[in-house]
Amino acid sequence: MQVLIYGAGNLILSDEGFGVHFVRHMEEVYRIPENVELYDGGTLGIMVHFKFEEADRVILVDVVQAKGEPGDIFRYEREDIMLKNIPVKMSPHQIGLQEMLLISEMRDAPKPDLTFFGIVAGSLEPGDQLTPPLKAGLEKVAKLVVEELNKVGIDLERK
Amino acid sequence: MSRITLDPITRIEGHLRIDVEANGGKVTNAWSSAQMWRGIEVILKGRAPEDAWSFVQRFCGVCTTVHAISSIRAVEHALNVEVPLNAQYIRNIMIAQHSVQDHIVHFYHLSALDWVDIVSALKADPKKTAQIAQSISDWPGNSEKEFKAVQDKLKAFVAGGKLGIFASGYWGHPAMKLSPEVNLMAVAHYLKALDYQRKASQATAILGGKNPHIQNLVVGGVATAINTENIATLNMERLIYLRTLMEETRDFVQKVYYPDLLAIAGAYKDWFKYGAGVTNYMAVPEFPEDTKNGKFSLPGGVVMAGNIAGIRPVKDHRDEYLIKNIKENVTHAWYEGNGTLHPWEGETKPDYTDFKENGKYSWCKAPTLDGKPVQVGPPAQIMAAYAAGNPKVKKLVDGAVSTLGLSMKDIHSTMGRLYCRGARAHIMADIALENLDKLIANIATGDQTYANHTEIPKGEYRGVGFHEAPRGTLSHWIVIKDKKIENYQAVVPSTWNAAPRNDKGELGPYEASLVGNPIADSSKPLEVLRTIHSFDPCIACAVHTVDPEGKEITKVKVL
Repeated sequence: MQVLIYGAGNLILSDEGFGVHFVRHMEEVYRIPENVELYDGGTLGIMVHFKFEEADRVILVDVVQAKGEPGDIFRYEREDIMLKNIPVKMSPHQIGLQEMLLISEMRDAPKPDLTFFGIVAGSLEPGDQLTPPLKAGLEKVAKLVVEELNKVGIDLERK
Repeated sequence: MSRITLDPITRIEGHLRIDVEANGGKVTNAWSSAQMWRGIEVILKGRAPEDAWSFVQRFCGVCTTVHAISSIRAVEHALNVEVPLNAQYIRNIMIAQHSVQDHIVHFYHLSALDWVDIVSALKADPKKTAQIAQSISDWPGNSEKEFKAVQDKLKAFVAGGKLGIFASGYWGHPAMKLSPEVNLMAVAHYLKALDYQRKASQATAILGGKNPHIQNLVVGGVATAINTENIATLNMERLIYLRTLMEETRDFVQKVYYPDLLAIAGAYKDWFKYGAGVTNYMAVPEFPEDTKNGKFSLPGGVVMAGNIAGIRPVKDHRDEYLIKNIKENVTHAWYEGNGTLHPWEGETKPDYTDFKENGKYSWCKAPTLDGKPVQVGPPAQIMAAYAAGNPKVKKLVDGAVSTLGLSMKDIHSTMGRLYCRGARAHIMADIALENLDKLIANIATGDQTYANHTEIPKGEYRGVGFHEAPRGTLSHWIVIKDKKIENYQAVVPSTWNAAPRNDKGELGPYEASLVGNPIADSSKPLEVLRTIHSFDPCIACAVHTVDPEGKEITKVKVL
């Protein structure tokens, strides 16, 4: 089983960079087995479709605009991300996660299991540091990801 | 009169708002507004100049490489550092491959659906599609079987209601003109194109260590160790793999993208008449061939008022005219005052007033060259190369002009812009391979130098890093004082093109390109999208927040 842990975000807009900070956090704290890839995807969107097509299990970590306090964590599965659950974007054909997954399906690419952990941001101002609630979120999301990996028989050891 | 607001307009994540006024089926006025504040410069102040390239890659999600290149060149320009040949070649390959990837994605995934009707493809005869595709290209993937499989897949998706994601497109719009067969060809290649943009990006990653966000730059060269016999460095096996990836990508660009582009352009010739906008252009030369940035493979130039014959060549990146005359004005931008500053003196002091069509209405500053608005992007580079008599560019452009029955003046248009981008991709694919050959030949002479070690000295230095990026001329401006960044400004291609009005009230390129265009149905302003997308808008890919838009989709909240 090939697992992709995909951290999305922009590192220089404080909490917007959570996914990237998260990938770095995992690298620092855990021993990562060979079949688990930590990927700093930045803000690429469709240009990284292949990473999703190559994995059996994808865990996506990003900030999310949802009702809640900074640092609140939400969990979504593939079907939540697809269009019937997330409303149409305002822009015609704007390419985001949903489109990327759909296009992969149209290409007959293997369909990995997908879980998305989204965290509510506190600040999107320019800056390369996380705000305290998001900083605390790193270990919380890490715990969730570790549990997720346990379910598929992968144990992550702390360094 | 009707007023149309499109917000956001970009197909990549972004925050561009376009307002147009339409009168009698034509656009009579337009405003381009960047809806996101970019305060990167603030973060860079006080940091080490040799680290800037790494930070600035996070300006954007897509063009990470281009900002890295501009930034490192800015420091090297400031300190007058030479770059070894191997490093130039490695950078050149990454630059060209990045361009190829960017152009493929722009054509198929970000703009094709303005011209290609997915639903119409369901009615196509796959056999006829194969005949058409084979008549314009000898690419081996164009079989009847291939097209039939894509059509069956589409049918299943439509039947299952799964194409909803694309349903906000303008299917069945009266301005859609391709035959069902050409539509099917384009849709099939839209799906295939992803494999090739990936190969292009893998090539960049082999050299850059990582993609997105290359890791291999240093002031004075690259950190890509070269040793043809060491498996941990850039060795022969890696170089051969690179070549395979690059050749496959080239074949896709030259045998699929370019012929598809000509087929689509041929069906939409009227779009060579609309969308010119600002006809002042600027391109800088690209692909240095020596260690001093004195000789380049592709020339640059400045065209004013559409006068291609009167082009002013830009010979190198030390061009005094450009360095002196690039400025930014904030009369209509959400920054303090209404002044015009040179980037070395540039300020980033926000002053948000809401959208005021006669006042301030955008986070984009209005860059000017010699006081005038300027359009940047592939048309500028193609014109400069054509005017300088570059044989490949001449052959491509003359071929297209005669096939499509056009004149050079038609480049100033929406379709002309798409054409130039495709021609540029064609050329970039070859340049990448040429630089790989040069790299291998140079290594074979025994030269394994890849960086000139550079210490940042005390004192004050100013530099500019020019780079001809996929969207046009990019420049990073740095002021170094006592080993720290004193000031930093990036004047990016989208700032030139998406600029609001300047101090003289002259419209920016997006704005001007819309005025005079037809609008068949103001509730479905496809024509606006076509023209704006032809620039490959990419305003604030800097922000990437998954946005469920306030609706309660949350089933499970954890912790």
